[in-house]
Amino acid sequence: MGKFSYMRLKGSQNLRLRLLLSTLSSTPILIEDIRADATWPGLRPYEVSFLRLLEKVSDDCVVEINETGTKLKYKPGIVMSGRHLVHDCGTSRSIGYFLEPLVVLGLFGKKPLSIRLKGITNDSKDPSVDTFRSATIPMLKQFGVPSEGLDLKIESRGVPPHGGGEVILSVPIVDSLKAITWIDEGMVKRIRGFTFSTRVSSQFENTMIHAARGIFNRLLPDVHIFTDHKAGEQAGKSPGYGISLYAETTSGCVISVDTAVSYARGEDEGELEDEKELSPPGDVGEEIASALLGEIEQGGVVDSTHQGLLFLLCALCPQDVSKVRVGKLAPYAIEVLRHIRDFLGVKFVIKPDPSTETVILKCVGCGLKNLSRKYN
Amino acid sequence: TSSRQNINLMQLVYGKPASKTSNEMKESSDEESEDDEFFKPKGEGSKKSKEGVNDNDVDLDDCSKFLKKSHKDWRNEDLIASIRDRFVTGDWSKASLRNQLSEGT
Repeated sequence: MGKFSYMRLKGSQNLRLRLLLSTLSSTPILIEDIRADATWPGLRPYEVSFLRLLEKVSDDCVVEINETGTKLKYKPGIVMSGRHLVHDCGTSRSIGYFLEPLVVLGLFGKKPLSIRLKGITNDSKDPSVDTFRSATIPMLKQFGVPSEGLDLKIESRGVPPHGGGEVILSVPIVDSLKAITWIDEGMVKRIRGFTFSTRVSSQFENTMIHAARGIFNRLLPDVHIFTDHKAGEQAGKSPGYGISLYAETTSGCVISVDTAVSYARGEDEGELEDEKELSPPGDVGEEIASALLGEIEQGGVVDSTHQGLLFLLCALCPQDVSKVRVGKLAPYAIEVLRHIRDFLGVKFVIKPDPSTETVILKCVGCGLKNLSRKYN
Repeated sequence: TSSRQNINLMQLVYGKPASKTSNEMKESSDEESEDDEFFKPKGEGSKKSKEGVNDNDVDLDDCSKFLKKSHKDWRNEDLIASIRDRFVTGDWSKASLRNQLSEGT
């Protein structure tokens, strides 16, 4: 191992992003001080799970963790992918946490990827599987990813604390992405969405939809929100409900928001807080509808949640100029920009557009090619 | 002023390396008496990280989802009017203007 030069990093921040960029750029990394001062030091179960997932989809990757889990050595291998893979994401973070990096890795794999992911499909912390279907996949297509073979199938749903959801992710491989100029936001032509309920009355869904529609009523008639009540096996192991909404514009942009309501995870039980009442479905529907209007108001071709992925895809493009428009830069997106610079050497030109209060970003891609071609 | 704004955004993102300053902070806190460090009440750590939700937190939570609690009342007529032209039900010429103006940037 000694012959490699490692990029030295500190702290647990953006671990999944660092591992992703490390793999894409074939840069071994050494991370120290991972929650060294925390009551429970070291890597969290979901981070370990993500490392296991990386091992599963790649050949020759080496993961070394010290006893306390505060130090991690990672030497990326070759992303092989393959069909009929299975991974249990655990219940400490939702499947959304794993989907984001995995879909990018899959594009640059040796074979197309098809993997069954088990765990939590909807929660309040990570983008839901519905958002992935409605917003993330269309965004990938903007970069020239073929729609054939790109899919996320929801087999069953699961919410915190016990999960029990299952999805099947399929990702095709690409030679390279396609640089884009994407600054036309267009106008919102329709609003769509999904609600779900697991182990609670389906009436919760109708209440959420009614409340959400009330907010959109005076802006747009074309609003359809579909219900997805799950029962039995397909409902996972915990009670919960949630809603994800997205707005489609005339120029093909998708702006999305989502949330879910359920009882707290096991790790939070130690806290003094008693079991909190779940927030009522009417409030949830209204809140999420308002959040969607907030995202539309701030402008941009993607929502705040997707900014980071948008920048990453731009940076991975061939050496052409990409130009995109977003609303206010989200904190996570800023972290992504910094890591892109460190790993890929791509620096964006960031200019505010005062007339619309949006931000225009430009970059020249790093010219990433699918590495597997080398070995063919 | 617009050029100054450019620099600010670029500085906001790329201005200073992210993880350096927090190390300095840690070293200075080590100088405090050992006892205080040893008897740290449970939950102190999380409290600290809550205060320091900024660029320098090396253990920042890894979350792409960004859901602002909108404190605006979207039933308000003025507020609705402010985004009406972003919908196909609004004024199309104004909406296209929005995209034209910015082609130059």
